[in-house]
Amino acid sequence: MNKIFKAIASISGVAVLGLIFGSCSSNPDSAGLEYMPDMYRSPAIEPYVDYGEVKGSLDVSKTLKISALVPPMRTIPYYGTNEEEVLMMLPYHRLPNAVFAKSHGYYGWDFTSNNELDYEYLQAAADVNPYKITAENAEKIFAKGKELYSANCMHCHGEKGDGNGPMVTAGSYVGAANLGGLTIAEGQMFYSIYYGRNAMGGHASLVNKKEIWTLIHYIHKFQNPSYGTFDEKGLPISAPSAAVADTTVKM
Amino acid sequence: MFRSFNKWCFGAIAFLLFAGTFDAQAQGEGLFKSKCSTCHQPHKDGTGPKLFEVRKKWADGGAKEGSIIKWVNNWQSAAASDPYAEGVSKVKSAAMNLFPDLTKEQIISIFDYVDAQPDPATAVTTPGGPTDGSMDPNAATEQSGSSMIWILLAVVFVTIILAVGGVRRQLKAAINERDGIDSKEDASYAEEFRTWAWKNKTYVGIMSLILVILLIVTGIQGLGTIGVVEAYQPSQPINFPHTVHAGVNGIDCKYCHNSVTKSKSAGIPTVNVCMNCHKQINGRDAAQQAKIKALYAAAGWDGNEYTGKSTPIVWNKVHVLPDHVYFNHSQHVVVGGVDCKQCHGDMTKQLETARVVPIEELNKVEGNIPLTKPTLTMGWCIECHQEKGIAEGPLDGKKDGYYDEIHRRLLNNDKSLYNKYLEDGKVTVKELGGWECAKCHY
Repeated sequence: MNKIFKAIASISGVAVLGLIFGSCSSNPDSAGLEYMPDMYRSPAIEPYVDYGEVKGSLDVSKTLKISALVPPMRTIPYYGTNEEEVLMMLPYHRLPNAVFAKSHGYYGWDFTSNNELDYEYLQAAADVNPYKITAENAEKIFAKGKELYSANCMHCHGEKGDGNGPMVTAGSYVGAANLGGLTIAEGQMFYSIYYGRNAMGGHASLVNKKEIWTLIHYIHKFQNPSYGTFDEKGLPISAPSAAVADTTVKM
Repeated sequence: MFRSFNKWCFGAIAFLLFAGTFDAQAQGEGLFKSKCSTCHQPHKDGTGPKLFEVRKKWADGGAKEGSIIKWVNNWQSAAASDPYAEGVSKVKSAAMNLFPDLTKEQIISIFDYVDAQPDPATAVTTPGGPTDGSMDPNAATEQSGSSMIWILLAVVFVTIILAVGGVRRQLKAAINERDGIDSKEDASYAEEFRTWAWKNKTYVGIMSLILVILLIVTGIQGLGTIGVVEAYQPSQPINFPHTVHAGVNGIDCKYCHNSVTKSKSAGIPTVNVCMNCHKQINGRDAAQQAKIKALYAAAGWDGNEYTGKSTPIVWNKVHVLPDHVYFNHSQHVVVGGVDCKQCHGDMTKQLETARVVPIEELNKVEGNIPLTKPTLTMGWCIECHQEKGIAEGPLDGKKDGYYDEIHRRLLNNDKSLYNKYLEDGKVTVKELGGWECAKCHY
């Protein structure tokens, strides 16, 4: 009897010690012990979770594939029933040129059938901003534009749009464009922000179409400080600086 | 050797400045920055080729005199009149802009400015510049050194204890032998301990009671630390320094983590976002260049163009919430107006890879609501919900935010309740149901 008791006591003692030392995980990538691991690791789809292994069962075909899902091809998000807004958010009708694959990494995209370089960019000069600025929404547009601008553009193009953002003054980056001195049409601004231009990369994944048009209103303010101001009758005090088409001839 | 070359270089520039070309240089600098630098750099090919000593290059290549000036004004007419320029026009796929309004003197001043720029590749890296994200090696060795000392001390003490015990046993055996006591009485360690414990049962009893209580308390406290991930800092495929990106270069958090205003998760930037800047920036020193090379491999960028062969970067997730907790970033950042630093600390000072910032450090950040519970625990969440006041009311009657509507409804529908809420000067998240279980657990 005593012997059995002794044996049980020593075995359980060793087991407890083993448990204590075993739980001191030395792997820095491990977040440590969890009470209920199955409540931490969701079998339902969550972003940034690798579903190659769910509850111990391994599925190599899903490893690094199923998280951060993209919507099915040719589907568009629902943007409500306001016609103007829906039209604004429809897929962009201008396509990138085939050289954008090599210069901006657009592999697997639809390209314009016209091989002339900058063909679509020059065509885009005809596009006008569908997000109309009025006396009522001007304040809102500029507030939103400032918010978007400081998050997405300011670090290169600078707070005043002069191309002297903190990245340029810190000496990390050279050649951010002076937005106040731009002489391109707003449709070309949209094309440049959407697909990128020269050194600038495309920003279609960062700002949606309405946001890009909002930013273009904000950029107009750099070009013309009285842009977006209205008199008592709601008429613009100064007409938006006449869109000057890109006069430079491209190959 | 580089140092002396550098000195020589600076000397040469200083001489040039003193020689009276200062005005022309300043003009050249201004023109270069406003007209050329979007595409051209002095020492690196970008959208356009590098311009350092480009006049010499053209002259050596057999270009006609003055045709480079013509090229800047209108590259097409230059290409038509000079075979060398025609060859140049076929090098790059992107076409150069026309600058018909630049005078000959202005163009020469631009080239003078460019030729006076020292090559950063031969210059020593500026001291105090951004360093890479590697850890201080001294700190690591120090820590492992101190734990080695403890182990050594423990070994020494155990040896002393065993040696003293052995001497004592032998002495006792000797005494027994002299007194003629049967050596069978010689007890084992365990039997000896038992007799000693029986003799001093009061002390042993009290001591073992204290020991048991201690064990239980530490055990319960230990259970409390399970699932607490404060200071968790997993390794990452690329040691990304937030100091350089958010600090030195002043990039807004919301540029890279752009889904933070639209979605539940703040988002790890896709590689195309990195490449918006890194297409041009390839690192100042070897450590940075190695890290950025890993990024180029992921993006399929060979230094000149995209190859289309991209590979995903597998980052390790740092802030992991259990599946049974619903947390939405856009709700907190857009509607609640919570600053990133309230939960993530001052990332502009995070030199190493990202980590769960402990609450003590979060409390030191200016503007943060001081909290007591460990970061990423439920206590921490609800403490903040109790402390944090929602946006102030629509005093000017114009604001149309989410909480402005709440203020308006409270004011119009239940004034006494509103006044009760406002006793401490703010309407807290808790007062609007921020402590209800189903807000986060459903």
